[in-house]
Amino acid sequence: MVCKMAMFMDLNISFTKDKKTLQNIIETAAHLGYSTVAINYTLESQQKKPEIPKPASISDLFDKLPVVQGRSRPIKVLNRLTVVATDPSHFRPTSEYKLFDLVAVHPKTEKIFHAACMTFEADIICVTVTEKQPFHFKRAPVNGAIDRGVFFEIIYTPAIRDSTMRRYTIGNSLGLMETCKGKGVILSSGAEKPLELRGPYDIANLGILFGLSEGDAKAAVSTNCRSVVLGGETRTTAFGIIHTVKKPPSAPTPSDKDESGETDNPASKRAKMEQ
Amino acid sequence: MEDLAAFERLVCKNASDFHYMKICLVLEKGRRNVEAAQFKQLMISGLRQLYGEVGAALPFDVLKFDPSTLTGMVRVCNSSLVKLWSAITLIGSYQNELCAFRVTQVSPFLIALSGNSRKLELD
Repeated sequence: MVCKMAMFMDLNISFTKDKKTLQNIIETAAHLGYSTVAINYTLESQQKKPEIPKPASISDLFDKLPVVQGRSRPIKVLNRLTVVATDPSHFRPTSEYKLFDLVAVHPKTEKIFHAACMTFEADIICVTVTEKQPFHFKRAPVNGAIDRGVFFEIIYTPAIRDSTMRRYTIGNSLGLMETCKGKGVILSSGAEKPLELRGPYDIANLGILFGLSEGDAKAAVSTNCRSVVLGGETRTTAFGIIHTVKKPPSAPTPSDKDESGETDNPASKRAKMEQ
Repeated sequence: MEDLAAFERLVCKNASDFHYMKICLVLEKGRRNVEAAQFKQLMISGLRQLYGEVGAALPFDVLKFDPSTLTGMVRVCNSSLVKLWSAITLIGSYQNELCAFRVTQVSPFLIALSGNSRKLELD
C-alpha cells in the first residue's frame, strides 16, 4: 500500500565543528520522529572575502544513520547553505552552491528581501527572529515568492532560549502571516544542542501561536518542507525532477517498473517542467 | 485511483471535555529529584512567561507523576490545550539547567495513554 502519511522534516540544524554534538542532535531528531534533517552552514557576507564552506560528508559523521522512530527507516541528512545578505551582490549562485542540497538566503534589508523573493535562485528565505524586522512585509514580493515556490522559514530555537527573542519571533511571524495568510511557510529549529529540538507535533502546535491555522501549521513541518527539498533537487538539474513511487504489490514484475512510476510533484513543480 | 484511500479518517466531535497528555521532562545533566509539585510549578511558570497571570490561572491537573522517569500525565480542558502545549514547548531551562518537555502522547481519552502504538513490538 502506498501510504501518504506526512513525513516530518527539520531543515535547519546548525553545523558545529563538534562532531559529537552534531551526532547527538541528529540522533535526537530521529528519535523525535523527523525523517529528514538538513545541516545548516552559514555564510556571513559582511566579511571582506567570504569563504563558502564545504559541506562535510554525511558518511564521515555516521557509520550507520540512526533509525527514525515509528518508521524503521534511517534518517535522511541533507546539507544546506544560508547566505546572509546585506547587499544584492552577496548572493552569487556559483558552482560552490551546487554542493549543497538546499540554498537559503537571509535578507537584511527590504531591497534584498524584494530581490530574494522575485529573482534569487534560492529555496528558502529566512525571516529574522532575533531582532525586530526592520521592514514591513509587502504583499507583492511575498506573493511573488509563493508563486515561485520559495518558502519563508521561521526558526524557533531563539524563542526557547530567551524571552525577548520570543517576543521578536512571535511579532515578526505574525507580521509575515498578515501578508502570506499562512501559505508558503516552514518552521524549523536552528538547534545547536539536542535539548533545543522539539517534537514535530509540538512545533505544529507552536505554529498556531505564530498565526498559522492548524492545517497550515502541520504543513509547515511536513508537506511544505517536502516541497523545499524537491525544489532544491530541481535547482541542480536543467528543468525538473520526477519523483517516482513504487506501485502497490499487485503491479507485476520489475520489467514495467520504468513506466509504472507516477509523478508526485506539487503543481508548482509540474509547471516548471513544461518550460 | 484506489491508492487514495490508504487510510481512513474518523472525526469524533465533542468526544470529551478534557485532553490528557503524557509528558516527559528531559534534563541536560540526567535525572535528579523532581517532585510532582515542582513539575507542575515548572509548567505554571512556563504558562506565566508566555501568557501572563491569566495564563498561569489556566486549570490543569497532574494526575500522576513518576519521579523515576520524570513522566507525568496531565489533564487539561480542551480550550486551553493549545495554550498549555505551546507554553511547555517553549520552556527551555529548569533551575539554570537546560531542559525540554517531550510530549509523548495526547488524547481525549485517558485509556489511550495506557499503551503506545509506536513502541508496540509485533512478533
